[in-house]
Amino acid sequence: MNVVVKIGLRFLFFLFAQVLVFNQIEIGFGLQLMIYPLFILLLPVEMGVVTLMVAAFVLGILIDAMSNTYGLHTSSLLIVAYMRPMIFKLFAPRDGYDALVETNIFTMGTAWFLKVFGILIVVHHLWFFMLEMFKMNEIVFVLQKTFISAPISFLICILLQYLFIQKRVDK
Amino acid sequence: MRNFLAFIRRFQVLLIFALMQGLALTFYFTFVHFPRSQYLTTASNLSGSILEIRNDITKHFALSKNNTDLQKENVRLMEESNLMSFVSLDNGLVKINDTLHKQQYSYVPATVINSTYDKRNNYFTLNIGSAQGVKRGMGVFSGKGVVGVVHNTSEHYSVVKSCLTETINIDIMVEKTGQFGLLKWNGRDARRGTMSGVSNDTEIKKWSNIVTRGGGGIFPRGLKVGKVEKADVVEGKPLWDITILYSEDYRSLQRVYVIKNLLLEEQKELEDLIPNDPVQ
Repeated sequence: MNVVVKIGLRFLFFLFAQVLVFNQIEIGFGLQLMIYPLFILLLPVEMGVVTLMVAAFVLGILIDAMSNTYGLHTSSLLIVAYMRPMIFKLFAPRDGYDALVETNIFTMGTAWFLKVFGILIVVHHLWFFMLEMFKMNEIVFVLQKTFISAPISFLICILLQYLFIQKRVDK
Repeated sequence: MRNFLAFIRRFQVLLIFALMQGLALTFYFTFVHFPRSQYLTTASNLSGSILEIRNDITKHFALSKNNTDLQKENVRLMEESNLMSFVSLDNGLVKINDTLHKQQYSYVPATVINSTYDKRNNYFTLNIGSAQGVKRGMGVFSGKGVVGVVHNTSEHYSVVKSCLTETINIDIMVEKTGQFGLLKWNGRDARRGTMSGVSNDTEIKKWSNIVTRGGGGIFPRGLKVGKVEKADVVEGKPLWDITILYSEDYRSLQRVYVIKNLLLEEQKELEDLIPNDPVQ
């Protein structure tokens, strides 16, 4: 499949999955599932940081427009896009990234995914909840929300990859 | 100049990031208090219609509960109405004094097509908009109690700032004794809100009714909000921290009414005559 079409379809999938499904899951305890940082992680490795940020901005603003958060999702996703190249460099494999291989849990390994996406999703959730509360005296609630929501979002992101990404190795 | 250009080139990624981040944060902080347009909210036509399609599928999930609620409301109205539940004692004598009353409020029915209850600030989207006469600042209530205030409208949709937002600030009072304060929400429990600004030298009875005060002309006086669940003393301040159990369950809300105050203009006009405090 053409890469552009694939990314476009994936964009729509993440947008509607977040807005119509995961935003409606409200169990309590401050649980709020946000799966769309995975979209930024799965974009091609050679993509420049500015392109990443533009993609993050567009996806974020569309999610915001459909969940009445007015820019919270955009702001947090921009942080993810800005940090992705740095985190990638920090945890680069010994012989660098293969530009043709998508960076998902199967190609890069579970340990790499755990570290890279773990950091990104915790930063994303922490920024999101801090901005949403915007009060120092609610910091315990912010941390509670972050450390309940981030691991569960992370698990769902792993599950989504097992469901939708073909595991077969090319060549 | 060359140094400046070199500086920009060196930090261009950071600058672009800061620019976009600034834009996003500006949207956030301006729209929370005053939405300048319908875009970026669910009142816009595109997201409104997508959410309406979603609601068409999911609206049946809470159908039986909503029907029961509507039936209860009907029973209440029937009991209040003269025609259905009272026997006239003086047959033949009809007394109508319709010139002694002037209609102040009219109500527009609406359906909630999108709502959340577990976020920090929860907004509801209604399927009516400025075409049906909805304006920013109008009150919204349901059969069981207050729902919120209209935050933003487009032609066919509107966004309501619900009782589950931090700064809802509806004028409320204890029904019997008349102590008044503002309604707030602390972001944790969709069934409970708080009432602030009540001095703790007065007594608050547990389970006494909380109703709207009707000061701002948004809600009529005496609309149900909930009941006092407990009252604690705020540390270091002579105030009660009152927890209210909402009478409406916002988690499965579907049918609401938007309140139009027909005399609001008159009230505003009169209140504008009050001179502001002179600046010394």
